[in-house]
Amino acid sequence: MAIDTGILVNLGFYVSLSIIFAILALGFNLQWGYTGLFNAGIAGFFLIGAYVAAMAITSRADSLPIVIGGVTVYPGHWGGFGLPFWLGMLLAMLASGGTAALIAIPTLRLRADYLAIATIAFAEIVRILAINLETVTGGTIGIILIPRPIEFSPPDPFLNAVTIVGIGGVILIALFLVLQFMAESPWGRVLRATRDDEEATMAVGKNTFSYKLQAFALGGAFMGLAGALFAMTLVYLEPALSFAPSVTFSVWVMVIVGGAGNNRGAIVGAFLIYGLEWLSVQLKDFAPQGLKDTIFYIRFMIIGFLLIILVMFRPEGILRERKRTLR
Amino acid sequence: MATLALVFGVEVLQFALTGLVVASIVIVAAIGLSLIYGIRGFANFAYGDLMTLGAYVALGIGMFADFLVGAIVAFFVLAAVGMLLELLIFRRLEGRGPVAPLVASVGVGLILQNGIRAIATTQQWNFNVPAVQTIPIVPGLGIHPVRGIATLAVGLTFVVSAHILLKYTNLGKSMRATADNLELAKSTGIDTTRVRYAAWAVSCAFASTAGVLLGLGTVVSPTMGFDILLLVFAAVIVGGIGSPYGAMLGGLVVGLSQEMAVPLLFWLGRPDVIGLQHAGAYKVAIPFLILISVLLVRPWGIAGRPPAFSPRIYFVEKLSRAFSRKRRPVRPADVDEQGG
Amino acid sequence: METKPILETIGVEKAFGGIHAVDGCSLRVSPRSITGLIGPNGAGKSTLFNLVAGLYQPNGGEIWFDERRIDGLPPYVIVRLGLTKTWQIPHELRNLTVLENLVLAAKSNAGEHLVNLFLRPQLVRKDEKRWRARAREVLGLTQLDGVANDFAKTLSGGQRKLLELARALVSEPSIILLDEPVAGVNPTLAKSLMDLIEKLRREGKTFFLIEHDMNVVMNRCDRVIVMHQGRTIAEGTPASIKADPAVIESYLGG
Repeated sequence: MAIDTGILVNLGFYVSLSIIFAILALGFNLQWGYTGLFNAGIAGFFLIGAYVAAMAITSRADSLPIVIGGVTVYPGHWGGFGLPFWLGMLLAMLASGGTAALIAIPTLRLRADYLAIATIAFAEIVRILAINLETVTGGTIGIILIPRPIEFSPPDPFLNAVTIVGIGGVILIALFLVLQFMAESPWGRVLRATRDDEEATMAVGKNTFSYKLQAFALGGAFMGLAGALFAMTLVYLEPALSFAPSVTFSVWVMVIVGGAGNNRGAIVGAFLIYGLEWLSVQLKDFAPQGLKDTIFYIRFMIIGFLLIILVMFRPEGILRERKRTLR
Repeated sequence: MATLALVFGVEVLQFALTGLVVASIVIVAAIGLSLIYGIRGFANFAYGDLMTLGAYVALGIGMFADFLVGAIVAFFVLAAVGMLLELLIFRRLEGRGPVAPLVASVGVGLILQNGIRAIATTQQWNFNVPAVQTIPIVPGLGIHPVRGIATLAVGLTFVVSAHILLKYTNLGKSMRATADNLELAKSTGIDTTRVRYAAWAVSCAFASTAGVLLGLGTVVSPTMGFDILLLVFAAVIVGGIGSPYGAMLGGLVVGLSQEMAVPLLFWLGRPDVIGLQHAGAYKVAIPFLILISVLLVRPWGIAGRPPAFSPRIYFVEKLSRAFSRKRRPVRPADVDEQGG
Repeated sequence: METKPILETIGVEKAFGGIHAVDGCSLRVSPRSITGLIGPNGAGKSTLFNLVAGLYQPNGGEIWFDERRIDGLPPYVIVRLGLTKTWQIPHELRNLTVLENLVLAAKSNAGEHLVNLFLRPQLVRKDEKRWRARAREVLGLTQLDGVANDFAKTLSGGQRKLLELARALVSEPSIILLDEPVAGVNPTLAKSLMDLIEKLRREGKTFFLIEHDMNVVMNRCDRVIVMHQGRTIAEGTPASIKADPAVIESYLGG
């Protein structure tokens, strides 16, 4: 029984994180697949959502600095309002979406590659702040002791996994349905037109700037939501590795694999590519001593390879853009 | 500079010197990056990792031979790598817009960086050069022969070489023409394919040199190039995409501002001001802020040209017109009728 | 001019860098007319169209449409006021179907606003139905019914030109600016296009078109305006323009 649940917990972790990445991918798909806005700062919005949620739902006691023998072992962090988890998620969405809207206003008129550079610079600034503003964000250690949505006593990893997968799954399905509804609507049509030819779409009477702003802000909000789920799944947050540019690149691969503009594909892509990551962690235990880390490096090289191959030979991804036949 | 020194102390000169050294490395890198941006039309996100590759090749060769030999071999190896990248990948992405090759270059960077990690581990290395002391000039101001003098000298040499290449050689002139207007260049008989491969070769050779200089100044590690990639992008964008001279200017601006910001940051870090912790660490954010500002205000940089059509932001225009309200003019047709 | 002009420009200027593409251009277009705009290459005709349609902002001068001043207004407002423009090289939306291209040109479709999607679904359905019907109507007018549900990127050159025109008609504008509507189009199709334009003109629409095809200009236009080096140099009936020495000189010398 113990071995069985161990495997299930492990699988549950895979599913939870795939769900989180799927939500990131859906957000990026709305920005790029539908509207043509190439966001290279996904990690930044992910970070903001995660930290805001964590600050909201951790308790006051757990947010305080820990000083042992005159040495500050943990700098503490801002927040600690002990809010319910759904409120934390909502605040995360508002924070990330609001930030996205703010930086969209000056940057959306930039060409695609300039936008990429601006957004990656933004993500790096956010990460630098998260690492260095110790008393606000917990510095390099980050935020610890994030409460789970339901605390079981005695603590049961299996039930924890079930809870997260359950909540995440419901959110993912709901998000997918809402996005499909929005993307296939006349509103979504304007987005696709803006992506294809912004000048022509303007000439046909659409305020393309407003639409781009909406798509970018909503996409950012979804990334914030993913961040909140991330905080609740891991129960701790650290800034250096979890929010590095490689996260952004992985999401790119997920959406490109699934086909730009294809929400189903984005979810499939997320499960596939995160599956690579999860697999590399599992295989690590079976690798000979010196090669343990090599498995991770190989994983990144595979992602790099996929990016190149997909861009060269299969830009539309595995699933093609659907023709919308109107009656 | 002298007034600054008088007011703030000689330490400021030290920061300025460090800024110049950093700027030298960034300038060499930025010239290479802007060549690709101008002639191949995309942001090469593998450039940092190409720099890293250069440093590691030099390191590897430097274990059997002299350091200098290693650096020279790396120069040529990277030139070959650049041409290989064009042959295998980037020439097939012609005409697909700026995003497709950007994404492919991210892939190339991932492969390079992690390949290096897999082979050489994440251990930090140092080049096989004799350890020397900093040479003091005045109290509080010193210059290191390798990190300081050599870097500045190499930087200057490469800037001059780039200038000679671009201005006085046929290849250089062809490069500038191709960067300016591809179709026109083709129609005037320039072998644009040769120019493209040459651009990649020169670009990656410069990357290799920048990587070696960086490794001399700090350490050789798998992320060394990627860590300063955005800095180099900032230089290229500030100076103007596709303009190697702009890149030189941009590198100077970016390098100096990052280091000269340190005393200001330290001042902010004082308990009686803001008490900003790890104030010095924020210096890396300065180039990013400059980059974002330039993108917002003048995306074509110092030496670039504004495009004919750029999407208008109407509510900004509306705001500015609201502040300069003019009287609504009388319609000329009405005047005509009244005048008869 | 007996009636008030539907479109009027007064001393409009537009410069790109050092080049004055439009250099003090003043002209008038009468309502319910087919007015031609001709001139040698580089005269500034397309630039003027872009200025009128709101895609460029003029550096000086005024643009009046139907008693309203429109210079400086963004395209999406100008379209709503009843002025549309086509492109010389068709700018179809490639990954949308032909029908989607046309439904997109709707003047006010509730479903294009997020709030309506969630709060007023019946209105969204109603508007969408209405505009799909209108799109099909315009498809019929331009005889593109057969390709209604094909991706726009699969159309032939002539079909793309038709789609350009069709898109400009969907929102029922009062004036349509056409940038070389029959350039590169086979003569049969060109004739049906111009017949359609005349038919729509009889129904009350105004057409202002840039054309290099002198047959079209002479036979189909009520009035012709001539531009050269960024300003108007002549205006009148096709016959009078043909004989105008300034016009002849501009084509020979310019």
